[in-house]
Amino acid sequence: MNAEALRTGSKPLPRRRSEVVYRLSRLATSISLHALVVASLAILLLPIVWMLSTSFKPLADVFSYPPQFIPRNPTVESYTTQFTGLLGRYFLNSVIVGLLSAILATGAGALAAYGLSRYRLPGRNAILMFFMASLAFPIPLLMISMYLMFVQLGLLNTYIGLVIGHTVITLPVCVWLLKNFFDQLPVEVEEAAFVDGASRAYTLFRIVLPMARPALGASAIFVFVTSWNELLFGLTFVSSTSMRPLPAGISMSFLTEFEGAWSEMMALSVMVSLPIFLLFTVFQRTFMSGVTAGAVKG
Amino acid sequence: MGFSPRQAPVFLAAIFAPSILLVGLFIVYPVVNSVGLAFTDASPLSSGRSFVGLENFVYLLEDGEFWEVLWNTVFIVGAATIIATACGYGLATLLISGIRAAAIFRAAIFQVWVVPWIVIAILWGWLFSQDYGLVNYLLMQVGLIETPVKWMFDQKASQWAIISGYAWRAIPFIMVICLAALQGIPSELVESAAIDGASFLQRQRYVILPLMQNIIMVAALLQAVRFFQEMTMIFVLTQGGPINATMVLSLYTYKTAFEDWDFGLASAIGTVWLILLMAFALLYVRVALRRNLA
Repeated sequence: MNAEALRTGSKPLPRRRSEVVYRLSRLATSISLHALVVASLAILLLPIVWMLSTSFKPLADVFSYPPQFIPRNPTVESYTTQFTGLLGRYFLNSVIVGLLSAILATGAGALAAYGLSRYRLPGRNAILMFFMASLAFPIPLLMISMYLMFVQLGLLNTYIGLVIGHTVITLPVCVWLLKNFFDQLPVEVEEAAFVDGASRAYTLFRIVLPMARPALGASAIFVFVTSWNELLFGLTFVSSTSMRPLPAGISMSFLTEFEGAWSEMMALSVMVSLPIFLLFTVFQRTFMSGVTAGAVKG
Repeated sequence: MGFSPRQAPVFLAAIFAPSILLVGLFIVYPVVNSVGLAFTDASPLSSGRSFVGLENFVYLLEDGEFWEVLWNTVFIVGAATIIATACGYGLATLLISGIRAAAIFRAAIFQVWVVPWIVIAILWGWLFSQDYGLVNYLLMQVGLIETPVKWMFDQKASQWAIISGYAWRAIPFIMVICLAALQGIPSELVESAAIDGASFLQRQRYVILPLMQNIIMVAALLQAVRFFQEMTMIFVLTQGGPINATMVLSLYTYKTAFEDWDFGLASAIGTVWLILLMAFALLYVRVALRRNLA
């Protein structure tokens, strides 16, 4: 209804003479709207299409003029030959750091969010405001002191150092996201559990957190994706090549090595994007399902 | 509503311990400590450090480079935020206008948000390559330019290359937020305006935009905050060049700290950045409050 009104305007009933004109103009509007959407989509997706297309071209076709959008001699050579063990190692590092950060930030965030949502704490709003504000804190400013600390603690060149870095920059969002979720969860479920004699810890871990699975998943994915993207910590807290996560590793070693080898670089880009793409595609449905259903069943 | 904290002090202490530890040790302490370092000549290359008072700040404010960097940051972040917000809102309006297969379009556009920053950096290097880049080719085909633009070697051009990357990546985020908000507008409002004879533009101007204003502001601000922190593209593509044209605060602080190893000066830059942020936040809260009161 809304959309209909937006598009056409609910004009007074057209007279017979102008009915044809009216229909035609409606059709024209509809066609031009669709054309506009398709055009915007084409422009927006052009970089991605170009990345995929280049990655499947042999080097000779990469620089052809005019450019080929569909590779004439498609090959997967760029995906298989160039990148050796080092790339695998970067992937492994990024996965390990991403998973550990996701667990730590979501875990610590969920506990704090539950407390903030359910208990009348003094200064509750101030705490939430602080979390929100800390998102804007200059990360390099944090890193200077963290670097000095990590030197003392021997945490440079370790996964732990990176995990801590990635955790603290995502924790505020986790707390916000999860607190909003707990706010919507009916408190009666917990009250009933207390009446039945369940302890607070039991109620939280066995009843509340299982119901929060979709929100916990969303939070974990957010952390993992942020960690996957993060360049700065990998550059500063890691100096040995084999401990670098993907962004830092790529920018320190592959960029100069493969300068101008665009099909290889695009193949690399596709491979780096793929895990995030899969993550979103696979878990999109999990988010939506069973948020309230869980409460009823439980 | 909610439980009283007195009922379960031990339980509360336990569930807050991890985040208090993390935030205290790795956010609060580093910020406080770094602000303190701004008044010293600290460097990991020398063992001692001495108090130098306001020297770092005086150097910074008298140094033309810092103001240049500040202006670049505001320009790049501002332009990218405005473009992303306009495009994101426009796309959301299009998708809600009753076209077919809107869900498929939305899902396709959302794929942009999935692309990691390091990939955008590499991809933009290829798209904006001087001799074989697609952007130069298309611009020449359309007739907007006659000779290829040296994107990474021209000051203005490099800024716009970076801005386009930032904006491109942020469009889906703004679009998704605007779409959700647009769907929340009661259809009776828009319909009754239409019945009263308001044109499409009038409905936008007098009915929809006033309702969307706050959510658009919040989405744009969130995005701007993220842009301020982001530096992958610039690090990979230009290293802040040519002649500092794309040097932004985050990269400048990073380089001062971890390439020049001047922790004192870098902390001073970060501290000024923090002060500017707080000033902006105060201003924003004031304006928002006044608007709410009016």
